[in-house]
Amino acid sequence: MVDPQNCRDEELVVLCQQGRSECFEPLVRRYMQKAFHIAFGFTRDTESAKDLSQDAFLRAFSRIKQFDGRSSFYTWFYRILINLCLDHARHNGKVAWQSLDDLSEKSNDQRQLVDDRFRPEQAAIAGEASRRASETLQAMPNKQRTAFLLRNDQGLSIADVAKVMKTTEGTVRVYLHRAVAALRQSLVEFV
Amino acid sequence: MKKNSPLSGACKQYEEDLVLYYYGESSAADGHRVERHLSECLDCRRFVDDLRGLLPQMAKMQELPQTFWDSYYRETVAKLNQRAERNDWWRNLLAPMKTWLVPAFGTAAVVVLALGLLFGRGSSPLFIDGSSADLPEEIIADANQLEFFKSLDMLESLGQIEEQDGGRVNPKSDRSSLSRIERGAA
Repeated sequence: MVDPQNCRDEELVVLCQQGRSECFEPLVRRYMQKAFHIAFGFTRDTESAKDLSQDAFLRAFSRIKQFDGRSSFYTWFYRILINLCLDHARHNGKVAWQSLDDLSEKSNDQRQLVDDRFRPEQAAIAGEASRRASETLQAMPNKQRTAFLLRNDQGLSIADVAKVMKTTEGTVRVYLHRAVAALRQSLVEFV
Repeated sequence: MKKNSPLSGACKQYEEDLVLYYYGESSAADGHRVERHLSECLDCRRFVDDLRGLLPQMAKMQELPQTFWDSYYRETVAKLNQRAERNDWWRNLLAPMKTWLVPAFGTAAVVVLALGLLFGRGSSPLFIDGSSADLPEEIIADANQLEFFKSLDMLESLGQIEEQDGGRVNPKSDRSSLSRIERGAA
């Protein structure tokens, strides 16, 4: 009997296509953090990021029979997720602001108690830099932001980013350059 | 001559190459070219150093508590199971229908075809029209003389009537009536 936990993505997809729907669960386990973070990069809101990333999993699950293996599973899945995020951005316009720092506030407090090297002024500067970076990301055109999040945060190669975005590698390079230049310009004082 | 953008400090013509170099996406030739330039240009070195300080921080995912991920996973799997059950429900509903769906559609198709043949005969160009439009002229000419054949039928029927009348038939009048009819037909 095949243990789904040890299977590669493509093997799991084939098993799902054969009707073993439980084989989708390891894919959720593998990609849930990345999916959540990329959705958070677009929405800056925990609940929306959670909903969008879960919707992407549900949509991928429903369409699993349409996956033809021409790209890797994660490229295919990211495309679904990115499309959902872009739809969300289009419908919601300005997004609610929430930093991931807020979510880990408790763990920071605990760290402060045990780590005497922790300095509040450094945390304040880091928080301000993070806020400024997120604002700059939000102000970017969607395509630049997508290219940046996929390459910088998710570690996809430019070739894979191009596949996800259904564009050329040259175009991705331009988006990436513009995004990085904009970020560096807004954060130059914190570097 | 160096051309700087307002804040970046890097050479404008190298900026995109520097970003790709940072991400390790330069080709071998471009990589060598950038490295040569970096060895000579302090501003561009500073630019790449800035990227090295800044971009990994951006990519760093803040650690969320494990309870968050446990709950996320449980919720997602529950939603997936709901979706799978719903799909199964539809599949179960459609499964018995499949046994009679094919013959039903087949019968419907035959009925539609039969109705089409029946009612489409007069209007559809697919059906051969019985009119004289496509017939050769000589046939049409003969057809116009059907009156002649009709008159022959009349002659036959007259003959029968006269036979019924028995021997009371006057051969002279018979001949005259025949000649009258033949004149009319001509």
